[in-house]
Amino acid sequence: MTETSRMTETGAAQAEAGQQASLEPTSPAPTPPAPSSAYRALGWLRWGWRQLTSMRTALILLFLLAVASVPGSLLPQQGIDPAAVQQYYTSHPGLAPWLARLSLFNVFAAPWFAAIYLLLFLSLAGCVVPRAYRLARSARALPPPAPRNVARMPQSVRHQTGQDAAAALAAATAVLQRRKFRLRTGDGWVSAEKGYRRELGNLLFHLALLGLLGAVALGGVFGYKANRLLVSGTSFANTVTALDEYHPGRLVSSADLQPFTITLNKFAASYVTSGQLRGQPSSFNAYLSYSAQPGAASQRYDLRVNHPLNVDGVKVYLIGHGYAPVFKVTDGAGKVVFDQPVPFIAVNTSGLTSEGVVKVPDAKPDQLGFAGVFLPTAVDAGGTLESAFPAPLNPRVSLISYQGNLGMNSGPSQSVYSLNTAGLTELPVAPRPLAPGQSIKLPGGAGTLTFTGYRQWASLAITYDPGQVPALIAGLAALAGLLLSFFIRRRRMFVRAHPGPDGRTVVDVGGLARSDPAGGFDEEFARLAEEFRVAYAGETSEGKTD
Amino acid sequence: MAINQGLSHLSDHFLMVTLVLYFLAVLAFAADFAFGRRSLAEPAEAAVPELVTAGAAGAGAAVAAAGAAQASAADLARATVDSATVDSATVDSAKASGRTGRPAPASRPSLRDASFWVRAGLGLTVLGVIAHMAGVVSRGLAVHRVPWGDMYEFIIAVTCVAVLFFLGLMIRYRPFRLGLFFMAPIVIIIGLAQTVIYTPAGPLVPALNSYWLAIHVTAITLATGTYVVAAVLAVVYLVADRHARRVAAGLPVRNGEVFRLLPTPERLDQFAYRTVVFAFPLWTFGIMAGAIWADEAWGRYWGWDPTETWAFITWVVYACFLHARVTAGWRGRRAAYIQLVGFGCLLFNLLGVSLFITGLHSYAGLS
Repeated sequence: MTETSRMTETGAAQAEAGQQASLEPTSPAPTPPAPSSAYRALGWLRWGWRQLTSMRTALILLFLLAVASVPGSLLPQQGIDPAAVQQYYTSHPGLAPWLARLSLFNVFAAPWFAAIYLLLFLSLAGCVVPRAYRLARSARALPPPAPRNVARMPQSVRHQTGQDAAAALAAATAVLQRRKFRLRTGDGWVSAEKGYRRELGNLLFHLALLGLLGAVALGGVFGYKANRLLVSGTSFANTVTALDEYHPGRLVSSADLQPFTITLNKFAASYVTSGQLRGQPSSFNAYLSYSAQPGAASQRYDLRVNHPLNVDGVKVYLIGHGYAPVFKVTDGAGKVVFDQPVPFIAVNTSGLTSEGVVKVPDAKPDQLGFAGVFLPTAVDAGGTLESAFPAPLNPRVSLISYQGNLGMNSGPSQSVYSLNTAGLTELPVAPRPLAPGQSIKLPGGAGTLTFTGYRQWASLAITYDPGQVPALIAGLAALAGLLLSFFIRRRRMFVRAHPGPDGRTVVDVGGLARSDPAGGFDEEFARLAEEFRVAYAGETSEGKTD
Repeated sequence: MAINQGLSHLSDHFLMVTLVLYFLAVLAFAADFAFGRRSLAEPAEAAVPELVTAGAAGAGAAVAAAGAAQASAADLARATVDSATVDSATVDSAKASGRTGRPAPASRPSLRDASFWVRAGLGLTVLGVIAHMAGVVSRGLAVHRVPWGDMYEFIIAVTCVAVLFFLGLMIRYRPFRLGLFFMAPIVIIIGLAQTVIYTPAGPLVPALNSYWLAIHVTAITLATGTYVVAAVLAVVYLVADRHARRVAAGLPVRNGEVFRLLPTPERLDQFAYRTVVFAFPLWTFGIMAGAIWADEAWGRYWGWDPTETWAFITWVVYACFLHARVTAGWRGRRAAYIQLVGFGCLLFNLLGVSLFITGLHSYAGLS
């Protein structure tokens, strides 16, 4: 970045050098008297700043950023899939703590990752700000005078014309003016420049990247993310206690949560029923009712994937679904101690075979626990049951029953999706899959479990990100800047005219593209030269090119 | 909506025809290297750098053809030619260029200068790309959506973009001899796509059922196809540059004949750069569109999903390439290597991440 702007800026560079020379005496550069430590420190700082803002450093930081992102895609990440991180701990007990110490399970929030991108953005800022000044100056500056030998330019052509030098120059000037070049004229020459917006685009792009970082930070500080699993027929209010997972930004308090209530009336999924893609889902619909505030009118919404619900700037997404078999448990005392749906989690996507546990802490004389598998379309595959299709065509539940102490009153908090079997004994029940309405009678008068039916559940993601719109604007600005800087070339044209030996006027035309990423200046130059020739020679002249 | 099986089969047939035509094109381009050398008036293309302007190139090419091919054509262009005979000749050439509105026809060899084999190769490629486009379109009509919803469709679309971009390059700059280097990898990719990862036409999973598929994946497809072209150019550049260095150092070289027929390393480097300049904004836009879609579908515009991460890495590496090109000490070979690293990241994202790492983008249809 810095070096591009230092490239071949003959005239402007000289002018700058002059200004710098006049400024020089104020800084104690040439003969420092016995360098004090403060001066040395300042010198090092200046050296460091120059190094940091150099293109080479920016390039290396950019590379480091790419390399640093790699482990984030190869190792499980805490912020994306915490269960996979746990899994990794179990399978690599020696290595995992070390990786955690290096923040490798949280790469994108790691201090070293932040160090790289903050240094990069600092380098960027150190490069962009001075350039903004230079751009502001060059916005008013005239192009440099035409060089003595125009034919030395990367593009050049020589014409001859019967007109005198002044008329030829005037004709060329008119063409350049029509093409909206910025002009500077002198004795026997014209120089012209165009394409200042390229530098503007370049600046815009880099500034927009800084803006993007700011927008991301804004979302991280003032936004929040949450999840909630909702069985059809039930409701929840957007409060911290009602959410399954809640990740607030640094400056978000529980009072900032928008107070809406959502009810899942019905969840419907449809699947491809035939052919090679049989079982692939084709649509998911979560039919919701919601009210934006307590007491507000209830509204309906058909929540689908790619079709989120927006409540006062908070967005609600459909991110998962599954089955919740309903169980009714009567304990040994003959009392109904459990009667509710239990969400099971899918363990495979093709048949939606789902696993879950039922915990009945209120059962007497002993607590009861069940670990089960729900099969939406149970088929017998050579002695074992499996699910052949994700829709509930032949639903079955298969359970293992336990009796004893669930361990819910002591020790660390438990997941609702797993059973701690340490204090439990498995009951000898014949492993018979239950159809809806069927029961297991537990031995020893422990009670009865009935599989009364099933419901579907949907999991919802709730996010609030005030950085979204700023990020979009920054992204669009970056793209616009990129296009400007790639497809506008900054170029100069020089024309010199003088009488030739044979009395005809010799016109030298030269051209220089200071940047031409997309190419094509050669063609533009040729077009312009041709226009000049036609302009000063008239339609009938015999211009001469070499 | 139901899949139209007839159209789906038609698409498969079109793509089979495409593969055959491209394969024949490769044979023709290869035959050009084997037999076609003498029939091409090559110096006009090989020795005249793009700096030469309108009439200048006419004169330059004339002189170069007359045997001064070693002299820099740029010098020739600057030398004032005062003889009256040349004068009238160049006026004609200038008029010609004025009439067509395109400068320097002679700096780009016309199709008539190409050998029979090159013309055959180009003709077969054009026929092939027509069948290719027909295959893509009929697949789209069969499934009632943009035909890049799974890995197979994506690769077929990407190769179609690559071939179209290659033909565009041929029309604009006429580097005829590059045909072999482009079409050979294309044939291999399409062949693998049809045999290894073929997926029958089907409906989309709900996550992909969005108009953002048309926007995001289209941009990514166009960018990827263009990056393929840039990568081929980088490889040819590296080989040609190595050859040029060996020649300059007086070291023994093999196949010098082949390299004389290729564009100069500087020219190849320039082609590669311009190609990336075209692809990079598309890629940027594709990532942005993907972010907007992700926000729509998953509730966040950026979540460091493996595919997102690798798209970002790819973006960063290509940004490195663009900056390296204007940084002293990083130009040339080093920049070309960076570009290839970027392409490697792109391929890893397409193949490695899609197939081996589970993430939200696991749509390849290759379970």
